[in-house]
Amino acid sequence: MSEFEREEQIKADLEKHFKGSVSNALVQRKNRVWAEVETAKLPEVAAWLRAAGFEYLATVTGFDEGENLGAFYHITDTHVIINLKVKTPRATPVIPSVLAVYPGALSYERELEDMFGIRITGLPPGRRYPLPDDFPTDQYPLRKDWKFVQPAGEKEAK
Amino acid sequence: MSKITIPFGPQHVALKEPENFMLVLEGEQIQGATVNLGYNHRGMEKAAEERTYLQDLYLIERVCGICSHSHTTCYITNVEELAKAETPKRALAIRTLVAELERVHSHLLWLGVAGYEMGFETLFMYTWRDREQVLDCLELLSGNRVHYSINTLGGVRRDVSAEQRAEVMKRIDYLVERTNYYIKLATEEPTIYARTSKVGMLPPEEALRRNAVGPTARASGIARDVRKDDPYLIYNELDFKVITHNTNDVFGRLVVRALELVESYKMIKQVLNNLPEGPIAVKVPMRIAPGEAVNHYEAPRGEDIHYLKSNGTDKPERLKVRAPTLANLQSVQYMLEGGWMADVPLVIAAIDPCMSCTDRAVVWDPKKGKKQTYGWEELRKMAIDQYKRRGVDFSRLG
Amino acid sequence: MDSIIPLAQILIFPGFLFLASYGMMLQWVDRKLCAVMQNRMGPPWFQPLADFIKLLAKEVIVPDEADNTMFRVLPYFALAAVMTAMVSIPVGEAALFSFQGDLVAVIYLLTIPTVTFFLAGWSSKSPYSTVGSMRVLTQLFAYEVPLMLSLIGPAILAGSWNIAEISSFFAAHPALIPAQLLGFLAAIIALQGKLERLPFDIPHAKNEIAGGQFTEYSGRLLDFFLLAVDMELVVGAALLNAVFLGGALGLTGAAAIVLFLAKTLAITFLLALLKVLMARIRIEQMINFCWKYLAPVAMAQVLFDIFLKYKLG
Repeated sequence: MSEFEREEQIKADLEKHFKGSVSNALVQRKNRVWAEVETAKLPEVAAWLRAAGFEYLATVTGFDEGENLGAFYHITDTHVIINLKVKTPRATPVIPSVLAVYPGALSYERELEDMFGIRITGLPPGRRYPLPDDFPTDQYPLRKDWKFVQPAGEKEAK
Repeated sequence: MSKITIPFGPQHVALKEPENFMLVLEGEQIQGATVNLGYNHRGMEKAAEERTYLQDLYLIERVCGICSHSHTTCYITNVEELAKAETPKRALAIRTLVAELERVHSHLLWLGVAGYEMGFETLFMYTWRDREQVLDCLELLSGNRVHYSINTLGGVRRDVSAEQRAEVMKRIDYLVERTNYYIKLATEEPTIYARTSKVGMLPPEEALRRNAVGPTARASGIARDVRKDDPYLIYNELDFKVITHNTNDVFGRLVVRALELVESYKMIKQVLNNLPEGPIAVKVPMRIAPGEAVNHYEAPRGEDIHYLKSNGTDKPERLKVRAPTLANLQSVQYMLEGGWMADVPLVIAAIDPCMSCTDRAVVWDPKKGKKQTYGWEELRKMAIDQYKRRGVDFSRLG
Repeated sequence: MDSIIPLAQILIFPGFLFLASYGMMLQWVDRKLCAVMQNRMGPPWFQPLADFIKLLAKEVIVPDEADNTMFRVLPYFALAAVMTAMVSIPVGEAALFSFQGDLVAVIYLLTIPTVTFFLAGWSSKSPYSTVGSMRVLTQLFAYEVPLMLSLIGPAILAGSWNIAEISSFFAAHPALIPAQLLGFLAAIIALQGKLERLPFDIPHAKNEIAGGQFTEYSGRLLDFFLLAVDMELVVGAALLNAVFLGGALGLTGAAAIVLFLAKTLAITFLLALLKVLMARIRIEQMINFCWKYLAPVAMAQVLFDIFLKYKLG
């Protein structure tokens, strides 16, 4: 246990501060902490982490688990990576933005909107990223049920 | 004086890859800048889900030409962590060796590009000629100059022989000498200093706020280096310094990269002198037990982070790649505003942008479903419309 | 017969044909020197000619937005102005058409191409060429004064505004040539600015504003502009040679022409050296440099020359 003292401390602190909204916290190995966070509490947890010295939001990974969509927020101080998992129902996928805490999150959150169709509340208006302007807005390429269709008349790239 | 909006890209002399900056100029000074991305999507994350782990290795290598080793090493660390494979020590050392050679190659390339962007073509010609030395080293070790493909699941593909070691050492000695010359040049040449000093300022608070990584952050005095902070491969056994500089400008980024070259040479020599004995690869099963892993890696341009989720089959469930440029682009906008038009190429180049790393998806429209051929008029209209949406009106051009 | 010889002189030597071919040759020498200094191969000797012919064959595209007449006429103005300037500068022993005050006329004629560059960029109406042409004009105000000041020094010393007379004065008093070193250096640097070469190629800095004032130009029209720039290099080098280096130094015939070629090549070498050694500076740095350092240096030379003149009686 003492081997991962700092990681265990972070995990304990997270669980203590956000009783009830942080679940399945886990120290996977040295420098890796995983936790599941209640979606609505995300900005609050992020703000707390930032104040605790985790100043970098490395990236946001969207995922599709079938019933739920969601995202991992990989927050780090370069030493320890904390992976916050948030889930949101597939029918009405909404995640609050962490832009106020991490201004660098802009393109990651836009990517979530474009690739998974998760609506991010609190995102400023702007050009979409990374899909082009004329891409249909009801298609989300990184969802599991999205399949690549070869248009008739075009040959497959060899 | 009236304001002019200048489109800087997606096709522009100073940009090697498509990206777009809309600059609002008042005279020579920049009043506002917006960054537009996404011209280079190749759908790699989706494609990775449809390929096996071994195939993905070669796909991921092609995320980027210059940091190809960074991406594969980051990916393969994830795979080996999930497969619980014990990668032999010698393989890790060889990976470190290639990683540092790659850093040398990337930084020398950057020095040349920076020279070119500030109009100093002699520097460009010199550094790119010397870069051939390190490319030759990589070719000698791996058989390839750009996509080295030295990594394989569970280890490396090729061993390093005594002759190869001697040859690499010889070339590194030559490069050390050249690099000292460049450091002298960069710090003493008055026009270089005039062009880079106080240009593209990024104070430490802003670098932190906007999550800058790599040399961009280190030039703002933030000692942030994954190699030191969360050592991977065999970096915890190597003796090196994290280079920082506190001028917060392009000059600082120049100095940081030049001094990092020296550190890299030191590390390459250390690895070559203490190459552990033993096998270079272990077998890794085709199917990988369910699990999740996340790993980061100090690529030449900054922190590269990969997330991998396996589901028990031979294909990954989800793979996420975040290249350093995407993190650094958030800072570019800040650095551009209030600066001079003449400094735009240099400021953009100073983060060493790599757009192919940043954008990874293909443009696809299954609804249209048919091959479209556009006539000249239609293409023209589309282009005008597209620019109109961004505030530039070309319609009067007839 | 009387009218054929001047016509041949204007069209062939030392007029248009000589100027064009020597301009291309100097362009090649410049490129080759830079290449050698940068560890490269450099182009073969006929490359400038090949470029010229190739561009002649290309389509001319005039933007609809641009002022059609201006856009088409300007390159010829630039070319004509440069050629006219050459008439008064001695190639070999004597100038084609020499008169009292031709130094001022040459300076004036050499300003015309720069103004046409500005007008060309302005009338193309694209964002890049607009920024480029504003830079052309800004730059003009920076280097023009040091260039003029540095040319005035020798004129005062020789007591004449005639280029040929200044040349023969220095040929008669070669000991005074080294005394002009400061002014000569200032003139070389200002000339680099006039020719828009590194480190002063700010108006068409390619990685900032693409082709600058020439962005929208293509084919024949671009070709003539580029030819005018090449010729400007010859005229500039010949002017410095005549004003500072004593021209033919009293030699006549073929020897004078060989000396002319040797000295202009040497000046080209200096210009190429400047180009290779430095990074491009910003426009505001260029203005600072020209007014804070270059103009005072040129002024000092003028004062020194007045003093010298007084001493010599």
